[in-house]
Order: sequence, then C-alpha cells, then structure tokens
Amino acid sequence: MTVTQSVTDPIRVKDVFRSFGDVVAIDGVTMTVPQGALLGLIGPSGSGKTTLVRMLTGTLLPTSGEIRVLGEDPRAFRRATRERIGYVPQDFVLYPDLTASENVAFIASLFGIGWWRRRKRVRQVLELLGLWDVRDRLARDLSGGMRRRLEVACGLVHEPGVLFIDEPTAGVDPMLSREIWDEFRRLSETRTLLVTTQSVEEAELCDHVAVLHRGRVIALDTPEALRHGIWGGEVVEITTERPIDGEALRAVPGITRIRQPGPRKIILVADDAGAATPLLIEAVRAQNSGVASIDPYQPSFSEVFAAIVERAEKERAERQRVEGEAAAAGTAV
Amino acid sequence: MSSLAKILTRVTAVMLKELRELARRPGAIASLMLGPLIVVALFGLGYSGQARPLETVVVVPAGAALPQDAETYRKLGGAAIRVVAVTQDTNSAHELLRRGEARLVVALPEDFKARLEHGEQAPLIVEWNEMDPVRSGIANATAVGLVQELNRQLLKTALVTLGIESVSIGSPGVQITAEVVASPLKLEARNIAPSSPTFVAFFAPAVLALVLQHLAITLTALSMIRERTSGAMDLFRVSPVHGLELLVGKYLAYGVLTLVIAAVLVTVLTVPLNIPLVGDRLALSRLVLLLTFASLGLGLLISLVADSERQAVQLAMLVLLASMFFSGFILPIEEFREPVRYVAYALPVTYGVALFQDLMLRGGGGVPAWYEVALLAIGVVLFALTAIRLRATMRATA
Repeated sequence: MTVTQSVTDPIRVKDVFRSFGDVVAIDGVTMTVPQGALLGLIGPSGSGKTTLVRMLTGTLLPTSGEIRVLGEDPRAFRRATRERIGYVPQDFVLYPDLTASENVAFIASLFGIGWWRRRKRVRQVLELLGLWDVRDRLARDLSGGMRRRLEVACGLVHEPGVLFIDEPTAGVDPMLSREIWDEFRRLSETRTLLVTTQSVEEAELCDHVAVLHRGRVIALDTPEALRHGIWGGEVVEITTERPIDGEALRAVPGITRIRQPGPRKIILVADDAGAATPLLIEAVRAQNSGVASIDPYQPSFSEVFAAIVERAEKERAERQRVEGEAAAAGTAV
Repeated sequence: MSSLAKILTRVTAVMLKELRELARRPGAIASLMLGPLIVVALFGLGYSGQARPLETVVVVPAGAALPQDAETYRKLGGAAIRVVAVTQDTNSAHELLRRGEARLVVALPEDFKARLEHGEQAPLIVEWNEMDPVRSGIANATAVGLVQELNRQLLKTALVTLGIESVSIGSPGVQITAEVVASPLKLEARNIAPSSPTFVAFFAPAVLALVLQHLAITLTALSMIRERTSGAMDLFRVSPVHGLELLVGKYLAYGVLTLVIAAVLVTVLTVPLNIPLVGDRLALSRLVLLLTFASLGLGLLISLVADSERQAVQLAMLVLLASMFFSGFILPIEEFREPVRYVAYALPVTYGVALFQDLMLRGGGGVPAWYEVALLAIGVVLFALTAIRLRATMRATA
C-alpha cells in the first residue's frame, strides 16, 4: 500500500486530478491497492471520496492522470473486466417494487450469470448478509440497514475480484455497521475491497487506510502505522501519585512530545517506550512523586485523524505562505 | 457461458424486471388496461354520430294566406328540421332563437303570393344563431336544401293549379308530368366503398390507433427517468450490460404488454361493439406491431431526453394533443398547410389511423403502400435515436 506501483496491483492511481469547473475535487491522487486488501478511504463529506470511486469504476472521467483497475483503463473496460468489478453506490438505486431476491437476481443477470448459478448465488449472498428470511419482501418495505445490506448483496452476487463500496454504513446503526465491516473483512480474504466512509473509527477495521482531505490523499498506511506515524513514536500514558510538572520529563532521552491533560496525567511520545519507562519513573520520583500507573496509550482514531488533518492543514498553510512570498517576490522584481 | 447466452440473460432480465415492476403496481395496470377499454366502450356506446334535426320556428305572417299548422311545414322540411312552432310574430321567433330553444327561424314573406303573381321572386328569410362554424355550415346547408325543396313544391303546385298535369316538349307524343318538370333530376346516391360504416365504426379504428400510441408512449416515457435520476445508471455503467441490451429488454417488456392490450381492445371493438374487420387479422397484427414499435420508440426517446418525471408526462401529453389535432383523427390532414402536414407525417398515429381504418373498414389497399414503410421507418429511426441517446447517457461523465 504505497505509491510504488506494481502491474499486478488491481487498483493503481497515478497523479489523478478531477475538477468541476473551478472546483478541484481530486487534487493529484497517487495510490495503489494490492491484491486482497481492504482499503478504507476515509474523509469528511466533500473530500472527494465518491468522485474518486466513480473515476475508478469508469463512470466519471478524470481531468488528468492515469487509472488502472485490473490492469485496464476504466474508460475502456472490456466486458470480461466489468464482470470482475463490483460497485455498491452511496444511494439506494435498486428497485423498490422488486423483492430482495428479485433485485439480487436482476443484478446477477446483468453480469450474465445464468439461471442455475444465479439461483445458487442469490441464496448464498442473501444468507451471507442475513437477508434470506426477507427474500420475498419488497425492497421498499425493508429497513434502511437491510437496504444497505441488500445493495452489498447485489455488489457481491457475481463474485467480483474488486469491489468498490461507497459509504456502506451511512445512516446504519453501530451494531449493524460492525456486522457489515466484519463481512467486508471476510470478503477481503479472497478479493480486493475499496470502501469509503466518513466514520473515522471504521478505519481501524481496514487493512489499510487512505485519508482523503480536500481531494488529496494526506495519509496512506495501515491503521497502526498511521497511529504510530502521526505521533512520531510510541505513546505512553503516566498517572502520578502527586501533581508534577510534565514539561520536566522532556529531559528524558527518547521523549519527543509531551502533553499534560491533568496535573497527575501526562501523555508522552517516546522513540522506544520500553527503554524510556525506567528513566521516566526516575524523573517522576525526582519531583517527589511516584508513578501510580504507566501504560501504553492507544489514541482513538478520531484523534489520529484530527492530528493527520491538522498536520496537512499546517503543511498547506506553509505551502501557501511560501507560494505567496514567491509570488510577491516575483511581483517586486 | 457463451456471449450470446449472456446477452439473452441480460435482455430477458431487463424485460422481466420491467414487467414485474408493472405487475407490482396493480392500480397503474388497472388504469392502463381498463382506461383504454372504458374510453373505447364509452365512445362506441355513447356516440350516435347522427346530427340532431334543427329545431325550427316557422314565421307565417297573418295576411300571408298560408297554412298555420306545424305538420304542413314538417312535411316540407324533411328530416333535417324539426318544426317546433309556427308563429305569426317574428320577434317571439327571434327570442326563441336567442334563448337557444330554436336553432332555425324560417320567415315567409307576407306578400308571398302577391309577388309571385307579379312575377317577382319572394325572399325566404332563414336565420340561425350559431358561433360554431360546423353547426353554422349545417344550418346554411339546411336552409339551401329547404328553399330548393320549397321551390320544387311550389312549381309543382303551381303547374297543377294551372291545370297543367303534363306538358309536351321535344318528341311528339311525349308527355312530361308536372313532377318531372319540377324535378327533372332524381338523386340516386351510392357509396361504392366495400362497407358503409356507422360513425362509430368509422372512428373506432382511429380511436384504437390513438389509444395504442398513447398507451405505448405513457408506459415507456417514465421507464428510464427513475433509473437516470436515482443513480441506477451508474450501476449499468459499471456492469457489463450494453445499452442495446437494456433497450431491447424494455422494447420487449412494453411491446408484449401493449400487444396484449391491443388484442383485448380489438376483441372488444369487433365482438361486443360490432366494428367490422374486413381485412384479415394477420395484417391487422402486423399494423399493430408496427404502430407499437414506433410508439415505444417515441416513449423511450421522451424518457431519455426528459430531465424529470414531470417533464416526461408533459411531453407525452404534448404528443397526445398533437396526435388529436394533426393525425387525421378529427380533421383531414389535407386541410392543413404543407409545413404543418409534416408534423402529421412525423407522428406514428397518423399512419395508424389511416391504415387501421383502411384495413378494418375497407379490407386494405385504400391508402398508399408507403404508409406501412413510413411507419416502419419512423420506428427504426426512433430506435436508432434512442440507442444513440442511451449510449451517450451510459458513457462516463466527462
């Protein structure tokens, strides 16, 4: 999951731009998704997730750049290639007047699956997504969660090698969201999935996460690596017996960052938490206190996401400042 | 699975999906099936086609020395008028005309006899109060017929009154009676058409054509709007389905439904309503198929160019209005100026009306042979336009 691209990677994106008039929706995205990965494309509303997915599925043309899905340009997918791609759009686009099984069977037929295999597959995917009992219910009579699962069933029925799923858990309750993500994890054992979501906590359920912000991929790695990378080391949380000055711990070798949310609570980033722990205990004692507890701190992904976005915003502001100065210098000359 | 089998799978899936969706809306199906049936049945049962005799008031001045009883004038007027009153007062006759209780006032001059005796023509004043140009024309024709009949009767009566039962003209010994002198020509009108349809029978095939076209357009005009506006088109774009497969599936679904309804309508027309079907049923099936094919194309084109369901309905109604006015259903196409006539020739129903009437009432051969070709050509052109438009719609957004 890096910018190093291999021709065998099912999804490859290189320097892709897409604008709508003056608005730049995708601003130079480069990334690859290897075979059998579950990539979470995370970003707030309007960050360009759906635009990117639509370009990957060939329904929207990029303004510039190169996209390859299963080795082909989405603009000119062959029929055989389309048969290996699944797409679950963001909105409910199935047919309210058809039953759950009729909807799935219809989509299966569009992918050219014959009657015998279709019958079997419809049952399989409906069972897989817990919809077999409501197979004869009209889609319009299904709950919101069931409809989302029905759409996922339709995306899976033809057993695609690559599956694009756009915000599958939007408007779905947390319990069901978890079930859907569990299903994605199972599916990713045999196929490649690209799932977009606004819910940053869902990032932890992915093999890899791409954070999309203002049309740019500002971070792309495994959830753990992102967590580690954003703080620049291992995070340790210390609770002291008496209030101390947390800033004094900065003198301990290997400590790169310190945050003190309370008089007895300090969160530190260390290059090597194991090596730094005895030194930290010493430093706390030096302030006539003792260590009540010292634990590895697992920041929530919301914090990680916020930090990633904050860093990207700072970099952007810096870039704009430099560009502004360069422009001003040019004008002066 | 072979490519052909996959194509058939996709086309059949689209067709069945459309039919299933229709079947799930029983209200819509009922109005679709029953609506045309009720329209045709009401038309057949409710329209007499016979012009009502004009209620007429005859004004006979007191000194005219003419009969004052209604029966005399009723016999003179024939079937075109119904004498409702004979009066001596012109003003009261005009009042009846103004109130709509009489549609014709025939006023005989007071000096009628005196004028004739002095060798002068006497004016017969006939008045009516109609805004409708058709009804005004009928009143005028009735007035002309009335004065001719009165002249004939007067001439005959005059000859008999003068004691001239017959006259000798031309070859010696040949006597011509007063009847022949008054009416030298006797009308023997014959219609050589193979059948003499009633008004209902004449209009029924046209109604059938209009109903079939409207039905096919209404069914299809909405069929792609939802898919285009809901995002389902994105699913189609990603899937291996081809625009032509979608199109053929839809043609088949709505074609089958329209043909079933057409079969029911033809049965209703020919059995309980006794509309003649002089031509053979196979030829009628061919015409129904052609009209359905062309009309489905028009409906599908509407569904691909309209940007909302509302606009699709508006366009379908616009086609219906144009069909009513320009197809020859009400007014003959020949009476339109040439540029407007092209509008008529662009509508499938124009050919449908002419071909259905010709086949059902005459047995065929009464309209130019190119009419069928033109209907097929319109169908093919609309199919091609629809396919091109759908292909463009399914292409990735630039």
